[in-house]
Amino acid sequence: MATIRVDATSPGNKNVENLTDIDEIQKAYDELCREENVIAEELSSVFEHQAMLENKMVGLHKTLPNLQILQNDSKQLSSMISFTSTLAENVSSKVRKLDLAKSQVSQCITRVEDILDLKFCTDGVQTALQNEDYEKAAGHVHRFRNLDESVIRMSADSSEGGTLETSFRMLYESEEKLKTIVNSKFSAAVHSGDVASVERFFKIFPLLGMHEEGLTKFGKYLSSQLSETADRNLKIALDSSGDVKRSSVLYADTIIMLLEGIARTVEVHQPLVETYYGPGKLIVLLKILQKECDRQVRKVVEKFKQSREYDKKVRLVQTSLIAQKQNSQENRLDPMEVDLLLSEIVLINNRSELYLRFMKRKAMGDLETSEQESKLMEEGKVEVEKLINESDLSRLMQELIGNYIMMEEYFMKEMVVKAVNMDVTDEGAKTSSMVDDAFFIVKKSVRRTISSSSVDGVCAMLNHAGSTLEQDFREVLYTRLRGGYPSGFDLQQAYNIMQSSFQQGKLTSSDQEKEKARTLFLTALNNSEVSCDYCKALKTSLDEEVNKLYSYCNEHSKAKLETCLNDLGSVPARFKDVVDFGFSQLTSSAVKPRIKPLVDTFLATGHNLTEEEFSNFEANDPWLQNFIANLDNMLKSFKESLTNGNNERFVNLITGEISVQLEKAVIKTAFNRLGGLQFDKELRSLVGYLTSVTTWTIRDKFARLTQMATILNLEKVSEILDYWGQNSGPLTWRLTPTEVRQILSLRVDFRSEDIKRLKL
Amino acid sequence: MEDYKYLFKVVLIGNAGVGKTCLVRRFTEGLFPPGQGATIGVDFMIKTVDVDGEKVKLQIWDTAGQERFRSITQAYYRSANALILVYDVCCQNSFDSLPQWLNEIELYAGSKVLTFLVGNKVDKMSKEIPTQIGQQFAQRYDMTFIETSAKECENVEKLFMDIARGLTKRARDLNLQPEENNEFPSGGSTPISTFSCCKI
Ligand SMILES: Nc1nc2c(ncn2[C@@H]2O[C@H](COP(=O)(O)OP(=O)(O)O)[C@@H](O)[C@H]2O)c(=O)[nH]1
Ligand SMILES: [Mg+2]
Repeated sequence: MATIRVDATSPGNKNVENLTDIDEIQKAYDELCREENVIAEELSSVFEHQAMLENKMVGLHKTLPNLQILQNDSKQLSSMISFTSTLAENVSSKVRKLDLAKSQVSQCITRVEDILDLKFCTDGVQTALQNEDYEKAAGHVHRFRNLDESVIRMSADSSEGGTLETSFRMLYESEEKLKTIVNSKFSAAVHSGDVASVERFFKIFPLLGMHEEGLTKFGKYLSSQLSETADRNLKIALDSSGDVKRSSVLYADTIIMLLEGIARTVEVHQPLVETYYGPGKLIVLLKILQKECDRQVRKVVEKFKQSREYDKKVRLVQTSLIAQKQNSQENRLDPMEVDLLLSEIVLINNRSELYLRFMKRKAMGDLETSEQESKLMEEGKVEVEKLINESDLSRLMQELIGNYIMMEEYFMKEMVVKAVNMDVTDEGAKTSSMVDDAFFIVKKSVRRTISSSSVDGVCAMLNHAGSTLEQDFREVLYTRLRGGYPSGFDLQQAYNIMQSSFQQGKLTSSDQEKEKARTLFLTALNNSEVSCDYCKALKTSLDEEVNKLYSYCNEHSKAKLETCLNDLGSVPARFKDVVDFGFSQLTSSAVKPRIKPLVDTFLATGHNLTEEEFSNFEANDPWLQNFIANLDNMLKSFKESLTNGNNERFVNLITGEISVQLEKAVIKTAFNRLGGLQFDKELRSLVGYLTSVTTWTIRDKFARLTQMATILNLEKVSEILDYWGQNSGPLTWRLTPTEVRQILSLRVDFRSEDIKRLKL
Repeated sequence: MEDYKYLFKVVLIGNAGVGKTCLVRRFTEGLFPPGQGATIGVDFMIKTVDVDGEKVKLQIWDTAGQERFRSITQAYYRSANALILVYDVCCQNSFDSLPQWLNEIELYAGSKVLTFLVGNKVDKMSKEIPTQIGQQFAQRYDMTFIETSAKECENVEKLFMDIARGLTKRARDLNLQPEENNEFPSGGSTPISTFSCCKI
């Protein structure tokens, strides 16, 4: 603080001596006075603190003696702690020494035991061998093999070297001897078909460290047994071919028997391997069995191909597919020729997949119980994948399924072509046979593929099903609609034809053609409509079927299947396009031309009415009754031929067309008050009628016309304001202000100035 | 459902071992898989990419090249929006097989399919097919050409992004001309006249 003060005042002090001007002196003086005040204030505040500081000093003086006591205590404590620590150090080093001594003692004991064991083994092996107790002998060898030979030699080299050496030599000799015995005994047991002995010696191999050898020998033994059974079964199958009930799946049955036999063998011997060979060894046996399986399956598949003329059929279908694509009738195989073959293939594949899944589960289960480190685990998994994926069985099945998909595609497409060619419409039916038939076939083919449980096969077939429907079948419907609905043919004409045919005894061929074309068109329209629904139903039912596959396929396969199924979901929309196209054809050739003359009868009726005319109209309707009657006839005739959905669509179309054309006619008509009233009545009846023939709401379509009638029905121009703007209430105007003025001007009794003056 | 503007199907074809699976894994997972087994049947991956701020979902079907899977893989051609035909620049045999693959495309794919010819494994020293040759071949058959390395991550992103952009542009153009969109029949180049025998 002191320094600051000096700094602050010193320049002032110096300058004071040099000051000459009275103003400056005065200024310097003022400055000094202000500084003095500041200093005085600071001083007084320092003085205020003095008392408090003194108090604190007194307090500190009082605590000083206590601090000295504390310091002494701490010194004492610290020396105590360091004493204790030295003590602990001493104790622990002794404990460490004790520990070491103890472990040495226990090692020593182990070694003594080992040496004792060694002697015991040496003696035991001899006796056991003499008694032909090979299990016991192998047990001794196993014990000996687990001893740490070098350590034993080290610990006993000086005094006992001689005896130990003899022991080791004897044990090695015994081990070799035992190995030879077990090998030959095992072979002998296999040779004589002595199952008990085979298993007996199989259990001894691992005790002698001969895991691989034991498993290989045992695997070969099991393989030869499987081979025998398989040959026998195949022979039976070949002999029994003929009128046996399941002859159409004879080879599938044979393969199933074979695969089930192998699975049973695995099931039976797995515990044996796990118990005597330890976990992680099963794969060795599985590999050997799979080799045998591959060999046997190949044999059966070969016979299957021969007897079913598989290769020939595959070739025939290949050429037929090309012919089908080129739309040539020649060289096309009857699809029914491959029907049974296809069913047998899916059965074979289904069981093969079941078997392969079983093998994989067994191999993986054994791998997982072996609790290896992660790297070995990964290698093990790769080995299992290899066992499954690179087996001949997998490969054979892939080939079969590949050809199967090709043939199933042909079957499906060709059967659909047949369904189309043999299309018939039953009396009174609205759709024809080809829709039911085509969808039945597609479903049959996809379901058959699903029963093969080949995920890739199902995906491929779902794609083919989609393209058959969306492309081939849809094209048939489209082609029939493209011809258009024959125009100029209506009920009146039909009536005339009937009349003339009664007179002449026959229908003219051109009228017959027209009638036929008309039915064909409407049937195709109906077929397209139900195809939408059938597609949806097909997808739903396939969804369910495919779901059954999900339980045993991984997430990836599931995603694949779902994706392909979803694609099928877009097919109904493609049929909807066809329906829309058909209706656009119908509109231009049937709807528009028929509504036009009907609406013309409205135009021909004046709406600028006298009282007399108005009341006369009440009694004798000038046009509407006739309009509705005609309409009704037309709708009825179509209703008979259209499906419900299409009929609704048709009524909707007609309704739309009427409202459009009538609107145009209204604008061309002159009205007075009574004419407006008349029109309002007419419109109500018309809407009433149309509402009665459809479940769809049509009021919306007539909203504009209804509003026009309201306007035409006004007492005076300004009355419109009761309905407009703020006063519109629940009414939403579909007419623009310009249109409102236009309608108002149709009233001959409204003055155009009044209309112009309206603020809308 | 999911949040994307366009969905396109991309199918990879070409001889076994040319690196189709590696290309797909590189693009979808950003890795070069060490020693995976050969593809069995058809494999399937999804990746959503961004094209001019719009989400475009690519459904990628990776097929096995071996003959025995041919009929399974053919089933994917028709609905494919883009095909990636791959050969190995170090394997003359894979290049010589291209005409067979083109024949398959001709037979089964839609006429509007976008086709890319890809020469893969350009990182290897022993290149057998010069860029020029691949380029010419692609031009002759109206394909877009690109050389890649799945191993060194060269042009892989570009390949798939070019496809996504190309298809998106096409889809947008089609939306602008709705009549053409409705043109009947859409779908494959396969003659749809299969049934013309039964015309009325
Ligand atoms: N050097 C190199 N090797 C590659 C490349 N792409 C794939 N490979 C190797 O080619 C082999 C076959 O690859 P894969 O993707 O399975 O071929 P695919 O049968 O066409 O699916 C594997 O050993 C890959 O490591 C690449 O860009 N460069
Ligand atoms: Mg692959």
